[in-house]
Amino acid sequence: MAARFLSKSSSGSSLLGALGTSLLGVGSVARQTTSNLTYSDIFFQQQRTFIQMGTKLKVVDNSGAKRVMCIQALKSKKGAKLGDIIIGSVKEAQPRGKVKKGDVVYGVVVRAAMQRGRCDGSHVRFDDNAVVLVNKQGEPIGTRVFGPVPHELRKKKHVKILALAEHIA
Amino acid sequence: MISVVRSRFVTAALASSSPWKYLAGFLPNFSTSAEAAEAPSKKALLDLSEVEKILSDVKAGDVRVIPVRDQCDYTDYMVVASGRSSWHVRNIADALIHKVKQKQRGSDRLILPSVEGSEAGKWIVVDSGTIIVHALDEKARAYYNLESLWTKEASEKVPCLDLENALVKSRRRNNSKKPMKSVLTA
Repeated sequence: MAARFLSKSSSGSSLLGALGTSLLGVGSVARQTTSNLTYSDIFFQQQRTFIQMGTKLKVVDNSGAKRVMCIQALKSKKGAKLGDIIIGSVKEAQPRGKVKKGDVVYGVVVRAAMQRGRCDGSHVRFDDNAVVLVNKQGEPIGTRVFGPVPHELRKKKHVKILALAEHIA
Repeated sequence: MISVVRSRFVTAALASSSPWKYLAGFLPNFSTSAEAAEAPSKKALLDLSEVEKILSDVKAGDVRVIPVRDQCDYTDYMVVASGRSSWHVRNIADALIHKVKQKQRGSDRLILPSVEGSEAGKWIVVDSGTIIVHALDEKARAYYNLESLWTKEASEKVPCLDLENALVKSRRRNNSKKPMKSVLTA
């Protein structure tokens, strides 16, 4: 379950300044940044974009699925961002779970590699794309959510997922 | 089955105050709760005592109030109540909203708590800032098991100490008839 780190973590640390990043251990890290990009940072950083058809996402609840491929991002032509709902097809699942491989499920994006602006001007960016499976009415299929989840879910009316989460970023 | 994920969160600008209370100033939905947190003279959207009274009026089953101020930074109290049917669960949520509307009668702008999950009546969340009310029906309550999330969370950090005992190497059980060869005999 190794998360992908950003390709140039050293330039990431120069962005964050005095906070000092040393990415230890396995896990997904949330980063908040102010938008002061120098020329070298733009050159080294990957341009992260929306979650669209074909994007593979990690499933971070205990519903039984492991990977899900997005087949439709609801509510946007460009793609889904943090906090949006997507329709996905389960590509990999645990043998005894509530969903099985090939199921078409709804999911709420809880971690996205593309940064999302907060109302105070900072941005939030995670290392991986992760989703929590949900049924059509918006109720989570699993009972626990692993890893950090951002505050944006509260404004997007996903308080249920926030309540089940173990760590709020 | 819970995988141990070591995750770190780095805040840039909001290291001093908890980010949620800072954001609450911008969002009109939660401005009253922010003021209530800082200046206790102003009332919150719904007080805890009022919530309990409404839940007992509606005859909600098994009401539990869990103070999560030290565990969650987005809210202070979690109230979990169960209803006998989905109609009952919807009724609980409607009663809370009705009480909020009554309290704010006369003011020109109504600030209502957000309600989620009301079209399927299995789990309705009424989010009024410092107090979040979860109204579930009995099956959903047994399925999601919300109290164990917040009551056990304080103790979940402690059992890590036992991990050293758990990884102690133990001798294999010898089920064969032959006696075990001792290391000492050459």
